[in-house]
Amino acid sequence: MADRRRVNGPVGATIPPVFEDEEVQTQETQRVTRSRAPNGIRKMYLKTGVTPSASGSAYLEIETSGKDGVSGLKLSCTVHGPRSLPRSSPFSPHIILSTHVKFAPFATKQRRGYLRDPSERDLGTHLEAALRGAIIADRWPKSGVDIIISIIEGDQDRETSGAQGDDTWDMMNALSGCITVASAALADAGIDCVDTVAGGVAALVKDGGETGTARIVIDPISSEHESIEAACCIAYLPTRDEITNLWFKGDMPDHDMGIYSELVQQGIQASKLANRVLVESLGETVK
Amino acid sequence: MATSASQTLAIPGQLLGSASKYQPGPGTHIHESNLYSSLLGAVHVVQPAKAPGPVKRLTKITPAAPPAELPTISVSRSGVSEKREVLPEVGNTVLCRVVRIMPRQAVVAILICGDTVLDAEWQGLIRVQDVRATEKDRVKIYESFRPGDIVRAEVISLGDQASYYLSTARNELGVIMATSEAGNTMYPVSWKEYRDPETGLGEPRKVAKPY
Repeated sequence: MADRRRVNGPVGATIPPVFEDEEVQTQETQRVTRSRAPNGIRKMYLKTGVTPSASGSAYLEIETSGKDGVSGLKLSCTVHGPRSLPRSSPFSPHIILSTHVKFAPFATKQRRGYLRDPSERDLGTHLEAALRGAIIADRWPKSGVDIIISIIEGDQDRETSGAQGDDTWDMMNALSGCITVASAALADAGIDCVDTVAGGVAALVKDGGETGTARIVIDPISSEHESIEAACCIAYLPTRDEITNLWFKGDMPDHDMGIYSELVQQGIQASKLANRVLVESLGETVK
Repeated sequence: MATSASQTLAIPGQLLGSASKYQPGPGTHIHESNLYSSLLGAVHVVQPAKAPGPVKRLTKITPAAPPAELPTISVSRSGVSEKREVLPEVGNTVLCRVVRIMPRQAVVAILICGDTVLDAEWQGLIRVQDVRATEKDRVKIYESFRPGDIVRAEVISLGDQASYYLSTARNELGVIMATSEAGNTMYPVSWKEYRDPETGLGEPRKVAKPY
């Protein structure tokens, strides 16, 4: 959409130049292959209460694949509410959830605009579905809660070229991060929830060219594999053993129907691991 | 009522106990006969008041003692309890400020619910039939409230999309603080009049009985 209110920069990639070390003599950049176990997730940092003016807030960082200790996904979430609904809205006996997810313009390799685009609205809808299953809505009649997530850095490895890695799979990682950070911020805000929700991603990846076999890994990074066939993002409630949101994307092999449930199971595993980080960080909030 | 506060931490979804051993308090919910926490905070268990023992009278037939009450378990964020938003519920006493008066209702902004100062802007409505308990048909809103008065009222209903319904139809409900047209704070003289100390003029209000 044309954004005429601002003086926008040139449309296109905003990757800063990365200069090679003099000692490194590699002719071509090696693709970083996955060094984690297929059922291990990346290190995560989660802290609540970072925005004092909001009812609840949380900040999440996930490390990247390129270098150890460098983070690739940075999310900040603020929750405002419960607040009264505007006069024009109809009576509602339960709380009205509204979610806004926005990538900062400098967050991804392709510069994004200041106004929300359809992919961000999509993320917001998935996030709302994931959280609606966890919030006890009828304790707060005639109220609304606003969840606003800013993605400060998208999960894209700056070291790899634009040809490797795919933007669409990075959205899944961003969504699972959004679910986890929103759940932490909701608990910080004091909104009644049935359980803590955590997000996890499982993918069917193919390495080794045409003859390679497909295997399932969790917390995938698109630049680490030759191709990602399919992926699914799960929002899971551990105590209740329930899934509140499920997003599947990609091409599945049609000879094996069991792959669907296998991917979901691995997604649940990833959620459980993320939930452990969430529980520990909430425990630190109250101390 | 004996209170014992245990400092165990609870996160949403944490199992607190069985519903046959505890009563659910604020911050908890029941699922499949078990009590789970719905908030992040410290767990508090409140023992019920002990029922008085039976009176010793040989000729009196007393019914069987009522079953012992269960302790109530609740979760609250200790230390920041003022920060937690509460919702006005039916039966709560609230303090509000009159925003606008109309021939058949007064629109108020609810400021304090119980003991908590509210963060959010809740609107309330005092209809003409809820102003006082007697002679409801002869109430004049202009002689009961004025814009800017502070009123103690009781929530009688969740109301419609825009406002809660409030009532001042008891002796201790009504205007507790009012400013005269000359701009001075007035003091109450009767159930229906406030007086300005400087000018000596009285103004009609529905006055709350001072405690």
